[in-house]
Amino acid sequence: MHVLVVEDDAVLADGLSRVLSGHGMAVEVVNNGSQADTLLQRPDAAEVVVLDIGLPGMDGFEVVKRLRARGSAVPVLLLTARDAIEDRVQGLELGADDYLVKPFASAELVARVRALARRNTPKPTVLALGDLTLDTSAKRARIKERALELSVREWAVLEYLLQHAARVVSKQQIIDAILPWGDDLTLNAVEVYISRVRLKIADAGISIRTIRGFGYMLEQTPDHA
Amino acid sequence: MHSIRLRLLRRLIGPMLLLNLAGGALTYMLAWIPAQKAFDQNLSDAAAALGARLSVTREGWQIDLPRQAEQVLRSDDSDAVFFTVRDVARNAVAGDDDVPLEPAPRAQTSPGLPPRMLPARRTFDAVMREEPVRVVVLRIERDGRQAYVGVAKTLRQRSQIRNATVRALVLLEALFTLASVGLIWFSVGSGLQPLNRMRAGLNARDADDLSPISPADIPDELGPVVSAFNSLLSKVSEGAKAQQDFLANVAHQLRTPLAGLRTQLEWLAARIAPAQDAEAAHSLGLMLSSSERMIRQTNQLLALARAEPSHFEKTRLEPLLLNQLVEEAIQQFVEQAALKQIDLGFDLAPTTVMGDRFLLRDLIDNLIDNALRYTPAFGTVTVSCHPAASGGLLSVEDSGPGIPPAKREAVFSRFVRLDDKTTGSGLGLAIVRDIATAHGARISLDSGAGGRGALFSVIFP
Repeated sequence: MHVLVVEDDAVLADGLSRVLSGHGMAVEVVNNGSQADTLLQRPDAAEVVVLDIGLPGMDGFEVVKRLRARGSAVPVLLLTARDAIEDRVQGLELGADDYLVKPFASAELVARVRALARRNTPKPTVLALGDLTLDTSAKRARIKERALELSVREWAVLEYLLQHAARVVSKQQIIDAILPWGDDLTLNAVEVYISRVRLKIADAGISIRTIRGFGYMLEQTPDHA
Repeated sequence: MHSIRLRLLRRLIGPMLLLNLAGGALTYMLAWIPAQKAFDQNLSDAAAALGARLSVTREGWQIDLPRQAEQVLRSDDSDAVFFTVRDVARNAVAGDDDVPLEPAPRAQTSPGLPPRMLPARRTFDAVMREEPVRVVVLRIERDGRQAYVGVAKTLRQRSQIRNATVRALVLLEALFTLASVGLIWFSVGSGLQPLNRMRAGLNARDADDLSPISPADIPDELGPVVSAFNSLLSKVSEGAKAQQDFLANVAHQLRTPLAGLRTQLEWLAARIAPAQDAEAAHSLGLMLSSSERMIRQTNQLLALARAEPSHFEKTRLEPLLLNQLVEEAIQQFVEQAALKQIDLGFDLAPTTVMGDRFLLRDLIDNLIDNALRYTPAFGTVTVSCHPAASGGLLSVEDSGPGIPPAKREAVFSRFVRLDDKTTGSGLGLAIVRDIATAHGARISLDSGAGGRGALFSVIFP
C-alpha cells in the first residue's frame, strides 16, 4: 500500500514513516503543501494521504480542496494539532475522509490508514487474529490447522467481533449485525452465544473481554501477542 | 474601617444639637415673655385697684381698704402678696413697710438726699423677706398730691411654671434629637441600599464571572464607581482571556513535537522485545509513560482553556444523547481499566440533555479517568446515565478510598490532588466543574453504595 505523508515536523514525519513502513506500507514523505499538491496531481501518487493541516505555505485545507477540485477520490486522513470543532468540520467539509488529533497512538494511526485504504478495496474474505482464521467466502473457521465447528449464530457473532477486533462493541450492535431479518433476540441470548464462542476459541490465543453492562471486545491475549 | 453612616452621623449630630438648642431657647423666650407680661399686668392691675381706693383728706392720704378687701388682695394659693402705700417722702401710709419701691442697689445710692420722683409705673425684681419678689410701683396723683402704691409678689408660682416649661422643652428637644439621629441612621441605611445590592450581586458571582455590572437600577451617584469597576473588570477579563489564549496556543504548539516523540518511542518499543534487552525495554516503557503524562497534561490544559466561560458560547448547545457520548468514550478506557484489572461497567439509558458535544466528552472522560486513577487494582467503576425529573443524570461510582466530606469541595479546585502517590494533573475535576457550570448542571459528590468509594453525579437541567 502506498501512503503519502505530508508533515513539516521532521521528527514526526520520520516517526510516521517508520511506523507505517513497519506495517508493510510504502511511505513517501513531503514536508510542505505545494510539493504535496504537485505530487498528488499524478493520479496514482498514493492510495492514502496522511495530511497535516498546519503546513508552511499552502496548508492542509488548501491541499484537500485542490485535490477534490481535480476530482480525485484518494482517501485523506487529516492530522491536526487543534481540536477546535471548526477545524474538524472544515476539514471534513472540504472532502477529507477522517481526522486524527495530535498526539495520537501509532496503532490508532495504522488502523485509520488501513480502514481508509479498505474503503477502496473489496472486503477481505479471510479474517485472522491470533491463531484463529475465518474464511468468510468458504465459511470455514480454523485454529491453527484445526477446523472449528460453529453454529450459524456463533459464526455471525465471531465474524462481527473479528471484523471489529480490538474495538468495543455493544450487545445491541451484535444483535443488529447478526439478525438481518429483524428476528427477536434478547440481550441474554447474546450472552449465551458469547459464552459458547468463548469456550470454542479458548486455545486460539485470543479472548473476549466483557465490558459490564455494555458489550464485548475481542482481543489478542496479552501473553500471546 | 470607617462607616459612611457613622461619619454622616458624627458630622450631623453637632449642628443638629445646636439647632435644637437654639430652637428650644427661642421657644422658651416666645412662651415666657408673654407669660411674664401677663403676670406683671396682674400685679399692675392689683396696684391700680389699690390706688383707686386712695383719697386725700386734711390728715393726709387715706385708704379705704376694708379687711375683706385686703384679704382678697393678699389671698393666693402659693405666693405671698404684699402691698404698700407711701407718700412722696416715702412715709408709709398703709400696708407692709418693707415692700421696696425701687430695685435694691439704687435705693441706697443717695443717702441723705430727698428721694427722687419715681416714674408713673415701674416693674422690677427685688428681694423681700429673704425671698425674690416681683414688684410693681405706681405713682398715684390725687388733687395735685402724689403717692406711691407698691404691690409685691413672691416668684414661687412663676418659677414653678418656668421650671415646668423648661423641663418640657428639654424633654421635647431631647426627643427631637433622638428622632433626628434615628432618621439619619435609617435614611443613610436606605440610601446605601443600592450599594448593598451591588455588593450582594458581586458576592453571588462565580470566581470567573468577569461580566460587567449592569448599569440598570444603579443610582446616578454610583454610576462613576460602577463604570470604573466595569472598566477594571474588562481589563482583568481581557488579561484572563489573553492568558487562556496563550495557554491554548502553547498547548497546541506542544502537540506536534509530542506526537513526534510518541510515534518515535512507539516505533522503538515495537522493535525492542523485553526478552532481548530487558533494561532498554524498561527504560523505553518509562519514556512512553512519561510522554503519556505530558500529553495528558497538555490536553488537560487545553480542555481547561476551552471550558473557560469566556470561550464558551451558549449557541453551541444542542440536544445530545448522553448515553451515546459515554459509549463513544468507552473504548479509550477499556485498556486503562484492564491494566489495573478494574471491572469497568455501564448502565446506560437513553438520556437527552442540552450540551456541547466536545465539552461533554471532556467531562465524561475526566470523570471516568479520575475514577480509574483513584480506584485500586481489582476495584469496580460503574458509569450510569438515565433521564431525571430535571433533565438527565450522569454518575460515576467507584470502589476507591472515597473522599472525606471535608475535602469534597476542594477536589474541584485546580491543581488539588488529595493523594500524592497518584499521578494526575489535578485539573480533571476542575474541568468537570467548569464544564458542568457552563451547562447549568449541578455536581454532587457522595459516598458510593454502602458508604464506600466515591459517587460523582452530574445533574443536568
